[in-house]
Amino acid sequence: MKQDDIKSNFLTTTLESAVNWGRKHSLWPMPFGTACCGIEFMGVMAARTDIARFGAEAVRFSPRQSDLLIVAGRISLKMMPVLIRIYEQMPEPKWVISMGACASTGGVFDTYSVIQGVDKFIPVDVYVPGCPPRPEGVVEGLILLQELVDKEKFSDYSTTLKK
Amino acid sequence: MLLPEIITKIENQFSDCTLDTTKFAGEDIIHIKSSSILEILKLFKNNGFNFLADMTAIDNLTLGGFERFSVVYHLLSHETAERVTVKAYVPEDEPELPSAESLWKTADWQEREIYDLFGISFTGHPNLIRIMNPDDYNGHPLRKDYPRLGNRERDNFPKVTRGINKDYFNE
Amino acid sequence: MNKVPKAMKTERMVLNFGPQHPSTHGTLRIAMELEGETIMKGTPEIGYLHSGFEKLGEYLDYNQYITITDRMNYFSPLCNNVAYALVAEKLIGLEVSKRTEYIRVLMCELSRIADHILNVVMLAVDLGAVTPFFYGFKLREDIYDLFELATGTRLTTSYTLVGGLMRDIPEGFDKAVLKVLNDVDEISSDIETLLNKNRIWQNRTKNIGIISKDDAISYGLSGPMARASGIDWDIRVNEPYSRYDEFDFDVAIALNGDVFDRYLVRMEEIRQSVKICRQALDKMPEGDVMVDPDLGYSLPPKDEVYNSIEGLIYHFEITMRNRGMTPPVGEAYVPTESPNGELGFYIVSDGGRSPYRVRTRPPSLINYSIFPKLIKGHMLSDAPAILGSINIIAGELDR
Repeated sequence: MKQDDIKSNFLTTTLESAVNWGRKHSLWPMPFGTACCGIEFMGVMAARTDIARFGAEAVRFSPRQSDLLIVAGRISLKMMPVLIRIYEQMPEPKWVISMGACASTGGVFDTYSVIQGVDKFIPVDVYVPGCPPRPEGVVEGLILLQELVDKEKFSDYSTTLKK
Repeated sequence: MLLPEIITKIENQFSDCTLDTTKFAGEDIIHIKSSSILEILKLFKNNGFNFLADMTAIDNLTLGGFERFSVVYHLLSHETAERVTVKAYVPEDEPELPSAESLWKTADWQEREIYDLFGISFTGHPNLIRIMNPDDYNGHPLRKDYPRLGNRERDNFPKVTRGINKDYFNE
Repeated sequence: MNKVPKAMKTERMVLNFGPQHPSTHGTLRIAMELEGETIMKGTPEIGYLHSGFEKLGEYLDYNQYITITDRMNYFSPLCNNVAYALVAEKLIGLEVSKRTEYIRVLMCELSRIADHILNVVMLAVDLGAVTPFFYGFKLREDIYDLFELATGTRLTTSYTLVGGLMRDIPEGFDKAVLKVLNDVDEISSDIETLLNKNRIWQNRTKNIGIISKDDAISYGLSGPMARASGIDWDIRVNEPYSRYDEFDFDVAIALNGDVFDRYLVRMEEIRQSVKICRQALDKMPEGDVMVDPDLGYSLPPKDEVYNSIEGLIYHFEITMRNRGMTPPVGEAYVPTESPNGELGFYIVSDGGRSPYRVRTRPPSLINYSIFPKLIKGHMLSDAPAILGSINIIAGELDR
């Protein structure tokens, strides 16, 4: 083969970069929208700010078919077991964006019945502040998550390999 | 019948159960004992007040009043566009009251909410269980002696483990 | 009633329409007992978003609670702000200026348009018609731009204060509103063209979920749900507040009480709201938007607070923890017509800086209580249609 043919037909990279490139550009969200932030999330999916541009195209409401859980809205005492169950049903690799002040810290609701931040019970990767956050804020959160995904290694997901 | 006539009729007919009739900001409020609430509501319903707009309860611990709890009914008449508030006083040691579900079906869920948040039970209600809080919750949150931050139920959930190296949450 | 043929008799199955479900009506749970595809019994369970609003009301100030009221009905938050401010003003006995009332009417009607459009397009998405979703959301984004011009944020506006408004509407607002109103007319007639005479839409919504007039009164229904069953009661006409009697508009009433009628009533109310908005803009009076500060209830504008000593003193008199407003001891309830029905706040005051008890009369909860009766006997795929026509907003349902 000629040298030019090789250059235009072969690509060298590491397996980790290729896998991370695929994962970060196809984060399929599962919206766990409970309150006002759920409505802003519907605005993010609609035509003006469109997260389908970033690969979050297939919004499936089933945890088994998605890899990004977006917790949007306040989580109350009755809803927390449901959230934990949905998180456990998602297969690895999975990430969580906590959208809004109520999901990150409890927000304005410091009462007997609102969980003061979902990060007390499930691991969160990106926090998006705001009450509710602007759609551009959610897009920035998604881009930050993409940068985080880019830096991952295979040993993160293994149970046997040491770090 | 117009509202002032109904009020005088109640004062005459139920004079031992009527505690007071007051007016504030142009609205009429009738304070009664809780034992005769069904008859008085039936009287209102038969005289044009066909709509139960709202039902709630107030804990009079620091406000003062005839008893500790008062259950408040807001009635509306579609023909004459008049509104009246009926307050039934319920003592603390026996917080029970006959249910208005036989008169208006809307009282069903409202009474469940009052039971959940205040602890006042309604005799004759078909299904009196908690509606807002989980079924195994202890206490009645909207009473004045219940703390706003609760009794640590909101910290009482298990932390999720993923079992992989990336489990930064449980390190 | 849809009967299951004898040859296909099966045993009853319990299906859990869980708190996490694809139709985004909020966190509801319905445990349905099915025989074949026919629903025999449906038990709703609510409380998945209970946040203790009423307990917070006893801890926050009169003005601080307005920020909490936006989070109740998050489809049309300005209506909640106006309803709370009206009750607080009735309790204290304040009279607001005519300009304040006209601006409040304008904002309420814009929120009503946004709420009804959202409900209609979500009903359409649940039944499979996805195109109106994108038309409706484009319109909603335009209305969000208007709110952002006037109040500063898109969704949780907190625009009113006790005694008036937070700030006056800016220059050029009326031209922006007129442009959006023309778009509303066009897009809502586009949506009606897509849906009204559509055979599939009519088959899926006519004669489904019929509510009779007696049931509507006994279950305490109000708003478009009651008006679609023939009850002629609109609080803006029968018990007018905030100068609604100076506007000229019609009330939409339908007679059958099924899902199709509720959809038609909502589309007609959008047209009437456009009419009211145009009248409000034409007749907008001049004046200021806050009551006299000497009464002790008005928060001065921020540039006076930062630049003059009187503004600072008035601000501290209301907001510091050991001071605050001193309303009279008593109680008040004002019913208003929100897009869902009769929304009212019931405030009991003991003379202190925070209310003693704040109660919201939740139209979503009271309208939802008729749901178990409505779905009995219908097929499983009628349940999303009936649920969508009730307009349940989980924030108001559970508070």
